[in-house]
Amino acid sequence: MAYVAARGGETAIKQAECLFREALGSITEERVCEIQRSLPYLVDRVMGEASLYAPDLAALALAQSGGELSEAVLLLRAYRTTQPRIAYAAPIALDRQLTVRRISAAFKDVPGGQVLGPTLDYSHRTLKTEVLAGQPFTPTPVTPAEKPSERAPPAVAGWLRDQGLVPPADDTEQDSGDIPDLTREPVLFPAPRAHTLQALARSDTGGTLALGYASMRGYGSVHPTVNEVRLCEADVMMPHPKGGHFNAGRVRVSEAEVVSRAQVDGKPILKLGFAATLGWNEVKTIAAATLDLAMNTAGAHPANETEFVLYHTEPIESAGFCLHFKLPHYVTFQSALDVFRGGGAAADEASPEEPPDVAPDDTPVLEEALP
Amino acid sequence: MNAPMTGLAMMPDLEPPRLVDEEPAVVVSGLTKRYGDFTAVDQVGFTAFPGEVIGVVGESGSGKSTLLRLLNLEEQPQAGTYTLGIKSCAGVNLFTLGRFESRSTRVRHIGIVYQNPHLGLHMHHTSGGNVAERLLVAGERSFHALRRRARAALDASEFPMDRIDVPPLTLSGGMQQRVQLAKAIALEPDLLLLDEPTTGLDVSVQALVLDTLKRLQRDRRITMVIVSHDLGVIRTLADRVLVMRRGAVVEAGLTDQVLGDPQHPYTQQLVHAKL
Amino acid sequence: MTALRDLVRPWQRYSYGFLDESAKRAVRRGLLKAIAIPGCQISYASREMPMARGWGTGGLQVSLTLVEPESVVKVIDQGADDGVNAANIRSFIARASGARTTTDTLEATLIQSRHRIPEERLTRNQLLVLQVPDPEPLRAVVPDISVARIMHADADYGLMWLKLYEQLVQAGRVTQSSSYPSLVNGRHIMSPSPIPRWDTPKLHQAENLTLLSAGREKRLYAVPPWTDVKPLEFSDVAFKVEDQTGRVCERTGATGQFMNEMPLLDGTSTFELSDAGFAEKLARRRAGEAVTIGPTYYVDGELQP
Repeated sequence: MAYVAARGGETAIKQAECLFREALGSITEERVCEIQRSLPYLVDRVMGEASLYAPDLAALALAQSGGELSEAVLLLRAYRTTQPRIAYAAPIALDRQLTVRRISAAFKDVPGGQVLGPTLDYSHRTLKTEVLAGQPFTPTPVTPAEKPSERAPPAVAGWLRDQGLVPPADDTEQDSGDIPDLTREPVLFPAPRAHTLQALARSDTGGTLALGYASMRGYGSVHPTVNEVRLCEADVMMPHPKGGHFNAGRVRVSEAEVVSRAQVDGKPILKLGFAATLGWNEVKTIAAATLDLAMNTAGAHPANETEFVLYHTEPIESAGFCLHFKLPHYVTFQSALDVFRGGGAAADEASPEEPPDVAPDDTPVLEEALP
Repeated sequence: MNAPMTGLAMMPDLEPPRLVDEEPAVVVSGLTKRYGDFTAVDQVGFTAFPGEVIGVVGESGSGKSTLLRLLNLEEQPQAGTYTLGIKSCAGVNLFTLGRFESRSTRVRHIGIVYQNPHLGLHMHHTSGGNVAERLLVAGERSFHALRRRARAALDASEFPMDRIDVPPLTLSGGMQQRVQLAKAIALEPDLLLLDEPTTGLDVSVQALVLDTLKRLQRDRRITMVIVSHDLGVIRTLADRVLVMRRGAVVEAGLTDQVLGDPQHPYTQQLVHAKL
Repeated sequence: MTALRDLVRPWQRYSYGFLDESAKRAVRRGLLKAIAIPGCQISYASREMPMARGWGTGGLQVSLTLVEPESVVKVIDQGADDGVNAANIRSFIARASGARTTTDTLEATLIQSRHRIPEERLTRNQLLVLQVPDPEPLRAVVPDISVARIMHADADYGLMWLKLYEQLVQAGRVTQSSSYPSLVNGRHIMSPSPIPRWDTPKLHQAENLTLLSAGREKRLYAVPPWTDVKPLEFSDVAFKVEDQTGRVCERTGATGQFMNEMPLLDGTSTFELSDAGFAEKLARRRAGEAVTIGPTYYVDGELQP
């Protein structure tokens, strides 16, 4: 199959797609359900980067793309953009939501306690190879605690604020519909905070981690302390046409808040960095919260530039552009070859120092003048 | 300024006698710049005649550099007027110009040499290119004319011609200042601003750069405002001097007079500190 | 009694032309602004498309906004109608709009292209949509778009000119090959998209409307009909297009047009017309078919007035 066969293009692309799809086999509802059931964290990651909470659709996207992550995110995003906006849900405060995991690294204990919740953080990362020998792995059942943890432990930042260690929060009520929407208007810089947080919420996990890690590791001035990491099941409260709100269901949400030392008017203070995303994705929110701080800190590292961070952590733009280099570029290459072979406008090298005589005061005025 | 040389044979190197009714090149009055509660420049005013060199002295933080940035139209003051004796803007307070006219006036009529060459140069472009950029912004579109005019300006700044296509990044501090100077004079400005142009250079290099400035001033009669904390530099170049303290001018007059017989206690302190 | 369903259109899985009406309206508004300020980049939301970013999603959004059932659509990539991505975009536009497709430039009312402008002269009844990977001509001198926006607003183009000066000083020639920066309507410097220099003069005082769209970078700009588009050049160092002297199209025998060069085992090269639709017509004419071939921008390598 030729790359640009005469009249062969359409057959070629059709067959190339067939090859890919045939290798994956038929996609059934069972397969999609199995993905949703067995890979919830992967489904969460796709939903977060696509900024669409739809576990069944995300699982379908993973099934269709064979787990090619950037393809799956693109599928879900392309679907999302065609969907109408029916209503705007009420804002959620995570310290009022069903919290399944909440830890603070800043204090040994905090009001509401350290709630470890479901995590592999302290597990020994050993493969259960016996599964491959036909011996199923059955998890040890959980022993319920004598006293259940609080349903919605208070925010650690609240305590810091009460102590005057961080500036008070801006509690201005804002209509959800008035919040600038990244998917309906492009980001311009300086970006409104809503755009920054939205962009981080749907940023690429790997890209965000890379930039955040660079900043944490020392290419930047942010040394974060994790004030709070929280995994929640948040209620989606929708406005009812007859007034008030009704609960339309729950979504899994993660948030991270980091603190770093800063100075205001020569006085040391703590600054909060924040990030949240749909689905449970701790590494992304911690990295993103660090970037939230870094972007507001002067410095030479790229992570200090909002524009740099937001543009380069966009999953489908970065992946798409990287992959587009597979497209033919032979016209531009031909143009470049022409220059290498001595084409292009050339200074007359024979007489570069034989100038036309121009009087010294014969300076034209600014040419690209505004009218 | 120098006394008119009446009764002597023609001496081409000396400037001709000044007519009393000559129009001033620069008139500044009531210039005030505040940052929040802090007043960086407080009611500063002066007049400079064509070819005259005004020195501005004072400790760091006295408002000298802010004054220069104002004169270069990089910032807007809270109060004050500033006119240049140029046809296109005769009698116009330059601070009232729109963004575009302001930039065009700055490019076309004002040259500046910063203490820190990174502020004034593209370190990775060639030295000739740095000078050419000024001409390009002003609309010069002949490549050969750009080369010739960049060369002429660099030559006037006594920059070695074999380095014309070398980026300033790889040049010495003194050479970088010469590139800045060439860029500043490329369009024959009506006002040349010098912000500590020799500070940080070796003493011998300093002397050479000062020589160049002195010669330029003599040959081209460029009106200059030079800011320096170095009274030696001011003594060498300036005709008249303003002494600034906490943003305000505390003493002004002929350089020899002010530095030789300072009246204000602050000036006395400055002069004695240098001795 | 009137039922609700009589008042609304029947539900469809996707809107006509795929994009929903609000997305199309946003694109149309952007286009109107872009036409009003030739060469000025207008930001727009740029929806995600069912195609990878960087693969023509910007051009596609413009085409899908403007396409009508009566449109005749031509899509080319590197000049070729059968390039894999051109084929893909063409079939998507056709599927979403029901419009007819063609490879004949003369017949097309809407041409979406990546990296080429057809050799046959476009007329007032035709729309050219160019896919743009990087809309910012100043990117090479300032990577931050926030800074570049200010420079455009100020018409502060000294650094762009300096770049050309430096190329002449260091390489003795202007080394910018494709995407040659051009001054539009005497005001904005624009990137004409990665078309070869050969195609740049085709935009100057063109009869047709050219729309340029960058999906990933979310910018629209336009060259309206009869608008000046001047490649940056020094008064004494003239802009030069790619030299096609001595190149003969192997398939059609044509000369003096933009050619693809194909290396041969013996170290030499063979050539073929880059404009595949044009080549196809020349080949058919050679075979004795009656084919209408329009006037071309270049004749024997010389730009026609």
